[in-house]
Amino acid sequence: MNVLLKVEGLEKTFSTRNSVTEVFKNVSFEISPGEVVVIKGRSGEGKSTMLGILSGLDRQTAGSVVFAGERLESMTVSELAELRAQKIGMIFQSFNLIGSWTALENVEAVLMHRGISPVQRRQKAQAVLHELGLGERLDNYPTELSVGQQQRVAVARTLVNDPLLILADEPTGDVDAETAREVVELLLPRVRNGSAALLVATHGAFDLNYADRVLTLANRCLVAENGRSQDKGVPA
Amino acid sequence: MTSDILSCALRELRRKKLRSLAVAFSYLITVAVMLLTANLLLFSRYAENEVLAATGTHFVTYLPNCGDITTLSEQEVAELARGIIPAKCQELCKNCTGCNKKAIDILNEGFMINTNTTRLVTLELVDRIRRLATVADASGYLLFRFRDPQSGRLFAVGGFDPKSTAVATTCCSHSDLIAGAFLGSDSSGQVMLEQGYAANLGLKPGDQVVIASESFAVAGIINPGVRPGRADVYMLFADAERVMNRRIRNPLFQEANIILIEAASSKLHEQAMQDVKGLVQSDALVSYGCYVPASQALGLNEKTIWLFLALVGGAAALFAAKTQISSVIERRRQLAVLKAVGWKNSVVIAQVFAEALLLAVSGCIAGALFAWGALQVLPVTSLLGISADVPLILNWQLLLAIVVFAVSSGSFAGLLPALMVVRQNPAEVLRRIQ
Repeated sequence: MNVLLKVEGLEKTFSTRNSVTEVFKNVSFEISPGEVVVIKGRSGEGKSTMLGILSGLDRQTAGSVVFAGERLESMTVSELAELRAQKIGMIFQSFNLIGSWTALENVEAVLMHRGISPVQRRQKAQAVLHELGLGERLDNYPTELSVGQQQRVAVARTLVNDPLLILADEPTGDVDAETAREVVELLLPRVRNGSAALLVATHGAFDLNYADRVLTLANRCLVAENGRSQDKGVPA
Repeated sequence: MTSDILSCALRELRRKKLRSLAVAFSYLITVAVMLLTANLLLFSRYAENEVLAATGTHFVTYLPNCGDITTLSEQEVAELARGIIPAKCQELCKNCTGCNKKAIDILNEGFMINTNTTRLVTLELVDRIRRLATVADASGYLLFRFRDPQSGRLFAVGGFDPKSTAVATTCCSHSDLIAGAFLGSDSSGQVMLEQGYAANLGLKPGDQVVIASESFAVAGIINPGVRPGRADVYMLFADAERVMNRRIRNPLFQEANIILIEAASSKLHEQAMQDVKGLVQSDALVSYGCYVPASQALGLNEKTIWLFLALVGGAAALFAAKTQISSVIERRRQLAVLKAVGWKNSVVIAQVFAEALLLAVSGCIAGALFAWGALQVLPVTSLLGISADVPLILNWQLLLAIVVFAVSSGSFAGLLPALMVVRQNPAEVLRRIQ
């Protein structure tokens, strides 16, 4: 199986005025298309920071991230934005929908500024929202939607650009078990048909039964906890 | 991409109506105030000219006598009294025509201004002065000190052209009239008396006065105030010429001893004095000094207005910048999400800029329309007490200035927020701000 994401010796430290805080170090792992990988860890262990680095929103202190054959650390901010726009989907714990934009506009945002015509953009966003059962809610603002519906809009926004990698930061953290299951069920088909991989960061709310592998981030290092394939977690 | 940015910016402004209205309104007020002030400034220029006209855009010039008669020897005075001009006086003559037209009673009478005796100049010189570009009007004036043979009283007679505007500002005008009538072109044989002189002699309109054996009817009493051409008795130039001729050795011929001058404008006053000095070749220029501080004060007002306009513009730009910054801070998470879904920094910046520019341009256009409407409705001339047909300033230069102001202040307002967007780490924002 081809490797979609390869992380090697990843390290992140934050420098403040008087001290240097090490978030994690020497983290290495790989993800292939079709896989669901969970990174588990307590709050403050650096899970969100790691997802930020893997999405190109943040930079690591050391180590390398190779995604779809491209080394992220050698890419410019603009190239990373392009990469996110075309190949990476992100889903957040609190959905992060834009409150002043409708459901359709929130989803359409991913396709904007990419040379896609407004009509095509709209059609594609509508299609994904229809697929997720929000066909009647296109023009509703997030505050007019239930929590479950908001999460589905967030999922639609993640899937609308047909990403190769879906990064989910506590995707089920703020929802009930039924909604959480629904969210995962919506994401899984894209993964299981081999067109994408799903990397979930969770402190434990995510149902690990969906995971192909579980990596635990503890004491600033990544360790394998449970896996159906070879992990490369480095013991602390 | 541009249309995407514009549509997103418009959507954002539409959805945040209150904030957008507040910023646009600040631009509206700014431009309206600027335009109204610019128009008021135009009216102020009219006011400036009015004030300066009343305080001294005019002056007089004359040639002082060749020298103090007391410096002449007794023989020279005796000869001068017989019309023989001393050699040293002839050397001093330039534009003077008067050495052979000295007063018969040379020790008491003569052409004068204030307490100084003067020479004579030709009316042709007056014409040349009148033709100067810096001069609006010039008029020859005769001012002669007489001695009343009965009482021995000394008094000054001024002969003027009542049609001249220079006379009105330097000698006497209709507004000086206290009683009776002001002399007109057809008032030959009549005189006006200075208020104090008339009071001393107990004269009033309708009375008769005798000057150089000729009787004149008192037409009016005037109080000309402190003017360089002040006299005790005022009469028409031709009448004055006639009575003065009786008291000098040779008759006047197209001559005057003082030139009354009205500058073309307050701004050209200094230049006019220089030009006249060049023609007359005399340093004896008399003017009202108060025009200088008045001009400076009014110029100061103008500068203050421009400073005020700059401050208003700056304040509006700062307010807009502050609002845009608040907007960006408020939308930090939104902008971070947009970056997370693949929007480039340049696109986010362009949107922030587009919002700032749209607000600035729409606010400025609304302000221009408001000011235009206000200028149509407001009775500006009545408010300022100036009756002048002043055109509204809403020309292409001013509109261009408004566009430049809108774009520059909008850019300024968008600059800081845009920099904030660039510096913002979206991962950090998404991690910390819920």
